[in-house]
Amino acid sequence: MKYSLLFCLLFLIPASLFAQGIISGVVTDNRGEALIGANIYIEGSYDGTTSNLEGDFILETSEIGEQILNIEFIGFKKHREKISLTGGSMELDPIKLDEEVNELTAVTITAGTFEAGDKKKSIALSSIDMVTTDGSSGDVYGALQALPGTTTVGESGKLFVKGGDSRESKTYIDGTLVYVPYSSSSPNTSVRGRFSPFMFSGMMFSTGGYSAEFGQALSSVLSLQTNAMPVQDQLNISLLSVGAELGGTKTWENASVAASIGYNNLSPYMKLVPQYTSWKSEPQSFGGDMSFRLKTGKSGMFKFYGSANRSSLTTIEESLDHPGTTFNYKLVNDNQFFNTSWIGEIRKNWILTTAFSFTNNQDRIAIDSLKINESLRGTHAKLSLKHKVSDRLRILAGTEWYAKTFGMEYPLAELQEASTYTNNTLTGFFEAEIYASSRFITRVGTRFEYSDYLNRSSLAPRISTAYKIAKRSQVSLAYGWFFQDPDNDYLLYSNSLDFERADHYTFNYLMNGDKRMLRTEVYYKKYSKLVKYGIGENQQYSFVNNLGDGYAYGLDFFWRDRKSIKNGEYWISYSYIESIRDYLDYPGEAVHNFTSKHNLTLIYKHWFDSLRSQLGVNFSIASPRHYNDPNKDVFNGEKSMAYHSLNINWSYLPKQNVIIYASVSNLLGSEQQFGYKYASVPDESGTYRSAPILPGAKRWFLIGCFITLSKDKEINQLDKIN
Amino acid sequence: MKRTTLLLSALLIATVVMGGNEKYYQKMGETLRKFASCSSVEDFQDLANQFHVIANMETKEWLPLYYEAHCYVIMGFMDHLEAGVRDGYLERASVSIEKMVEIAPDEAEVYVMKAFYHTGYMVINPPGRSMSTSPLISAAIARALAIEPNNPRALFLRISNEMGTASFFGSDTAPICEKALELLESWDSYKRKSPIHPSWGKGETEGIVKRCGQ
Repeated sequence: MKYSLLFCLLFLIPASLFAQGIISGVVTDNRGEALIGANIYIEGSYDGTTSNLEGDFILETSEIGEQILNIEFIGFKKHREKISLTGGSMELDPIKLDEEVNELTAVTITAGTFEAGDKKKSIALSSIDMVTTDGSSGDVYGALQALPGTTTVGESGKLFVKGGDSRESKTYIDGTLVYVPYSSSSPNTSVRGRFSPFMFSGMMFSTGGYSAEFGQALSSVLSLQTNAMPVQDQLNISLLSVGAELGGTKTWENASVAASIGYNNLSPYMKLVPQYTSWKSEPQSFGGDMSFRLKTGKSGMFKFYGSANRSSLTTIEESLDHPGTTFNYKLVNDNQFFNTSWIGEIRKNWILTTAFSFTNNQDRIAIDSLKINESLRGTHAKLSLKHKVSDRLRILAGTEWYAKTFGMEYPLAELQEASTYTNNTLTGFFEAEIYASSRFITRVGTRFEYSDYLNRSSLAPRISTAYKIAKRSQVSLAYGWFFQDPDNDYLLYSNSLDFERADHYTFNYLMNGDKRMLRTEVYYKKYSKLVKYGIGENQQYSFVNNLGDGYAYGLDFFWRDRKSIKNGEYWISYSYIESIRDYLDYPGEAVHNFTSKHNLTLIYKHWFDSLRSQLGVNFSIASPRHYNDPNKDVFNGEKSMAYHSLNINWSYLPKQNVIIYASVSNLLGSEQQFGYKYASVPDESGTYRSAPILPGAKRWFLIGCFITLSKDKEINQLDKIN
Repeated sequence: MKRTTLLLSALLIATVVMGGNEKYYQKMGETLRKFASCSSVEDFQDLANQFHVIANMETKEWLPLYYEAHCYVIMGFMDHLEAGVRDGYLERASVSIEKMVEIAPDEAEVYVMKAFYHTGYMVINPPGRSMSTSPLISAAIARALAIEPNNPRALFLRISNEMGTASFFGSDTAPICEKALELLESWDSYKRKSPIHPSWGKGETEGIVKRCGQ
């Protein structure tokens, strides 16, 4: 009897499960568009269903009573709704889901900005592009010169952005300032970046209107993120026509160490290939670097990177002041750099970043027996905190301390007193990102800076917005004030100067298709408080002041297409710029010498499956730049010849762990000339003697072989080129 | 009487508990059977949703998360979709994978799915992503094989990777074909822990062997 009761009970329980109720409804977004594939289920049960092509759903359930209905859909906030189930059929009111504002789907500010990285969606170029795009063989700055807004200045190699001087661009690695990002070279010869693009997996290159997080740059900021933790041990060997490098990586569960050592000597190459420059001792360099990564806790990551390098060269220069004679220009550069950073989530939605960098750079120059020593020692410490208040509001606050000592030893007695200066800069920044919706973002910030050497402070407001006007297109605006210390040369001379200032106005339109991108930008930049001076006796600066000013405006155009040609892609990058300045020793307003009115770069890359090779073609053309002929009445009134260069590179994979790379710059041997240099004093007939400024050689060839050895044969340096 | 009540309630509890478990197995089995008939994005989305519901109910089980991730990875592989959409699906897969790694850090299959997910992420843009992703794929496969050296799915992914590289470089595929054949022959000797544990990969391995024979 008792057992039959038990059996009854057992049968009763499942029986109740078969009383099916039916819930129906429709799921849409805020604007009433149907959401297809939304997940609708009753919390704490197995009963669920999916919305169809019209957003409709029918949910069968055996649950009764008070229940909670969950509705989930990618990119939208989870919706919970109390329902009362009676076992019959019920129709719900239309369910509207709120869009979730997250970094992957929300609009991003694109005014002035190019981003690269694996995860970012609005990227103009991937990190690999930094390696394969240009004729300068893996130089970060060379690759950036393929982007609009930059001007190619052949005799410099540095970044010149939107009418700005190269010193107006700053480079940051993992949040810390790199005081000396370029290699050293003799005057009027091109330099390269000190860091290999292979070190980085993400970058943000801003040509204007950047965040309050960055300061001390009037024109542009390049922020590079080093690679995440490597996962496998390996050994890399690079053999180049100009040198060799050996590197190794060792990994553990939560840590890794990598180190490399390299030697370059251009002597054999330059003896083989005719050079315009006459060398007494061709460039050579020796250096090494080391990096360390440690995962701390669940989300923390500690990074260290350090490098040391020595390079030297000696050229034989013809003297313009003493015709028929030559002098030797010798340069020895020593550079040490290290930085550390730690980033981690200290509490939910609170991300702390601490970073520190140290730079020590010394240029020892000997012009025959005249010796000049230039030294720079700089540190940068940074602390910032990012807080996600809600998915509509994010705030960033931080503080920094920059310390820089710059010294110059020059055998002229007058300068001895002022041969060194130290400047401490203290900064604070605050920024808020406000999402009105996932289609509309506003970023408001301000930055404070105080310099103890100048005893001046500045407050720089910045604001930028982006609005998505359609699924694939958006507009973005940016406005802000930017300040920078005057150049070392003038600070050495005087501390009664003020910060130089630039105001940026940028308007950007972006259309980002699946494999195509169109980006256009117009901007206006107003310079004020630029350093101006007169030249007194002994070629000394006199009346150094902040009375200079200037402006620049222009149009940038960028088109990238990975869709139209199978296995191929092409880019068109064009900039138009008008730029006028009255600064330094200019007698009045003039076009400066580092801007081409028109800059055009065409890039084509093609992958040949059957040859396991990639061909890269890069054609650049820039309209003539101005230069000053002291024999003429008009200052900076002369124009150099237009710049043309066709560069090609070929990468071939004979085996999975070997890459062979070859490149030629200026394949066609087009004549290149970057204006003229002049004697410092006129000759007997009253004219200043001149000589054209030429590139180092007509063409530049590079051949290299990269080998990777690892336990796992899967790995190669394919990534290095492809 | 007292004893009977005790026995009765014990039995009842046992039934309910067993019933719960049974229901989980039953639900998993039911949902898994639909896998074979899935082909469109909508099919897989529906299936992923169902696994999501089960995962929410059974917070200690990794298998519902595994299959939810599997659905999203498959959706991520659908190359008629836009890259951004595919990335969105893979992002969802990674959420489930992260949870799964936490629940079952010692399950080989978990890392197989992780390797599969990374592969999906890489194929969306091989030139741009192989640099950061291919070491992650290899590492995940290695981890799976360290836990379970004979896991057929981990072996399959490794062979499939090797095959891709070999055919790309035009090198000899014979040794890889041999490995594939070996794997196929031993496939059925691998004993799953339960009928709802992963079983995919045999057909794909057959595909490799078939192409080898041509």
